[in-house]
Amino acid sequence: MSGNELLRVEHLTKTFGKLTVLNDISTSFAAHEVVSVIGPSGGGKSTFLRCLNLLEQPSSGHILFDGVDICDKKTDINLHRQKMGMVFQQFNLFNNMNVLKNMIAAPVKILHMDPEQAKEKALGLIRRVGLEDKLESYPSQLSGGQKQRIAIVRALMMDPEVMLFDEPTSALDPEMIGEVLEVMKNLAQTGMTMIVVTHEMRFAREVSSRTIFLDGGVIAEDKPSHELFDRPQNPRLISFLQKVL
Amino acid sequence: MFFETVWKLITRYGHFFTEGLRNTLIIAVVAVVAGTFLGALMALMRMSKVTPLRWLATAYIEFFRGTPLMVQLMFIFYGLPMIGVSFPEISFIPDFPRFMAGIVAMSLNSCAYVAEVIRSGIQAVDPGQMEAARSLGFRKGEAMRIVVLPQAIRNILPALGNEFVTVIKESSVVSVIGIADLMYRTNGVKAKTYNTLECLFVAAILYFITTFFFSKLISFAERRMAHERK
Ligand SMILES: Nc1ncnc2c1ncn2[C@@H]1O[C@H](COP(=O)(O)OP(=O)(O)O)[C@@H](O)[C@H]1O
Ligand SMILES: [Mg+2]
Repeated sequence: MSGNELLRVEHLTKTFGKLTVLNDISTSFAAHEVVSVIGPSGGGKSTFLRCLNLLEQPSSGHILFDGVDICDKKTDINLHRQKMGMVFQQFNLFNNMNVLKNMIAAPVKILHMDPEQAKEKALGLIRRVGLEDKLESYPSQLSGGQKQRIAIVRALMMDPEVMLFDEPTSALDPEMIGEVLEVMKNLAQTGMTMIVVTHEMRFAREVSSRTIFLDGGVIAEDKPSHELFDRPQNPRLISFLQKVL
Repeated sequence: MFFETVWKLITRYGHFFTEGLRNTLIIAVVAVVAGTFLGALMALMRMSKVTPLRWLATAYIEFFRGTPLMVQLMFIFYGLPMIGVSFPEISFIPDFPRFMAGIVAMSLNSCAYVAEVIRSGIQAVDPGQMEAARSLGFRKGEAMRIVVLPQAIRNILPALGNEFVTVIKESSVVSVIGIADLMYRTNGVKAKTYNTLECLFVAAILYFITTFFFSKLISFAERRMAHERK
């Protein structure tokens, strides 16, 4: 966790009106680390993840990305978001664009990449998820698993330094979960830094090196995955694991 | 007997009706086009982060949707000259100030409805689309332009078409300030011939053919758009 720290969270608090969703959270993520975030629904997992790229504005605290405080009003968050890929539970592919356009829109429009070059890159990436025959398809013509695989490579088009996943398989039919987890596993093997909110306990245990148990707005446990799953200490974690395993 | 009279009205006074219909269409087209531009601005204000702008837009929209068009028309026709705003006489358009009062009232009214059409069209787009664009690093304006608006247009265009059809019908109130629209011409022929029911029948048929035609055109365009999507 020390060494080359990529993302640091300091005293992060988030409230919605009177509801405190995240309560003074501090942690950090090293480059190339794969971390799972688990916990009961409503415990603040999505809010935590969305605070990391400021899709939610933290109420107080700091987020340091590459050493820069992105909560600072003077920081241009758009520049930093380019380096933080995000994958959503509901895929959120752009419905008005085909797969190729979905993939090249950001690099071409934001990074001013040459469209031909962007297309080459898209082809290379989409082959990695086995969907090269879908380049011309629209999101409405794809299955959930296909959409999510495209959403992942769309984020990768920007060469992010970290990938945030918010329950990427929770909206999928069971038979499609495997194909998405497979892509994520391969991505982890390439050394990508990943923060994954998930209900897939096997993935958390086997792919991520570290697992955070987020409960009631605080980090209740934060341990190497094997330790957390093999010897859970926190009684609420124990009862959570009993329910989901 | 009834239809004989109707036929007589059409052959003898047809040009009155068609001239009235032409003016009705001119007013409706100008009002909806102007209302669309103003309404787009109003919708932006309504969704703005700047609170006074938002209040202003909300007040405008609520006011124009909550008062009768007839009252708005009277206010503009009689009220504007009182505060020193009047439109100039133009030689080649007879009764230009009167005509403008009608068009301004219809446009301001349409603006309020179109603003709501545009706002709800934009808000009907899944917020996840905007979030995904922002997460890739798009600025808000650009995300709006390349992701949200192209999808919102599909909701907005058909509703705009319906607004046009509504305005064609509602515009009949401008006859009360003496604009020579279809309703006004109908009343003129009625006064000349005393064929009250027959005159109204001709007017109703003309309004109906027009609105029916445009409604069909809109649903055709809508089907085409839905088709292209796939
Ligand atoms: N935009 C919001 N406004 C108000 N409350 C919210 C909002 N987003 C999340 N919450 C609340 O915050 C709590 C945590 O939500 P969330 O982060 O989505 O939990 P999780 O992802 O762990 O299920 C929930 O009680 C939820 O209702
Ligand atoms: Mg969630």
